[in-house]
Amino acid sequence: MRNIILLSILIAVAAAFLASSHPDGLEKVAESLGFLEAGVERSSVMTDYTVPFISHAGISTALAGMVGVFATLAVFWVSAKLLKKAAG
Amino acid sequence: MHIPDGFIDPKISYGLMGAAVAALGYCLAKVREAVTALAPQEAFAAAGRNVRGLAGKSRRMLTRLGEQKIYRMGMVAALIFAAQMFNFPIDQGTSGHLIGGVLAVVLLGPFAGAIAVATVLVVQALFFADGGLAVMGANIINMAFLGALVSYYIYAGLKKHMWEWLSIGIAAWVSVMLAAAATSLEIGLSGTFALPAVMGSMLRVHAVIGAAEALITIALVKAFRKMAPEEAQ
Repeated sequence: MRNIILLSILIAVAAAFLASSHPDGLEKVAESLGFLEAGVERSSVMTDYTVPFISHAGISTALAGMVGVFATLAVFWVSAKLLKKAAG
Repeated sequence: MHIPDGFIDPKISYGLMGAAVAALGYCLAKVREAVTALAPQEAFAAAGRNVRGLAGKSRRMLTRLGEQKIYRMGMVAALIFAAQMFNFPIDQGTSGHLIGGVLAVVLLGPFAGAIAVATVLVVQALFFADGGLAVMGANIINMAFLGALVSYYIYAGLKKHMWEWLSIGIAAWVSVMLAAAATSLEIGLSGTFALPAVMGSMLRVHAVIGAAEALITIALVKAFRKMAPEEAQ
């Protein structure tokens, strides 16, 4: 279990430094066909996988990725605990 | 392939939100059934509980294996979240990234797999502004319902006739094409852009991205099975 979590963090950190910054398939299609402007830009706590108070792009994204990995895990951890409690 | 707000007509996006809630509700019910067992009433009596209050509807309790299954769902979802961050270049200034639908259902089964992917999509939309809010239902239908749940049956059907790795690869490619087709249909029917042009471009780009999805899915299924074998639970 710990290995998978480590692997996920490793992938997220590697992605922060190595991932392509080109638009993805849908974005590219929207751009080349000319309907990209129809999309609404939104912001959230970690918009575009960056932590707002860290200016170094790679480190910022690596941190955001780690937060995302743990937030995703937490959804299931908390659900398991709640289900256990409800039954207990 | 996360659709932002604004690409889809509200009538379609809210309709798909309803469909997504229904589909996920069904998946949740199936997973709940799988991770719990009917609690024997004697257990409550022995514990000094008021059994009469429970008469007529027996309680379901989380089993030990069920608890492990939920943790396993969390690990798969976390892995998919991380892998989705890794955009790889394809051509002409375009990148792609894993969706992970087939990865999820091969490791977790159709219902738990769909929930794992949907959870990733919700976390991405809420905290990372990746994918719109009004169109969250559309994204769930495209990537969790079609990309995971439906694709499970493609994988399961193919597996009977061929080498498992080949069935995983083909199902992964098809899952990306299904999600791309659905995305194009939603954009086309919304009148955002002409359907044939969107469909053609989307399928062409995602035929390449889908090939990468197949390879990454095979590699990650291998790694996951090695690191967290099912029997070790």
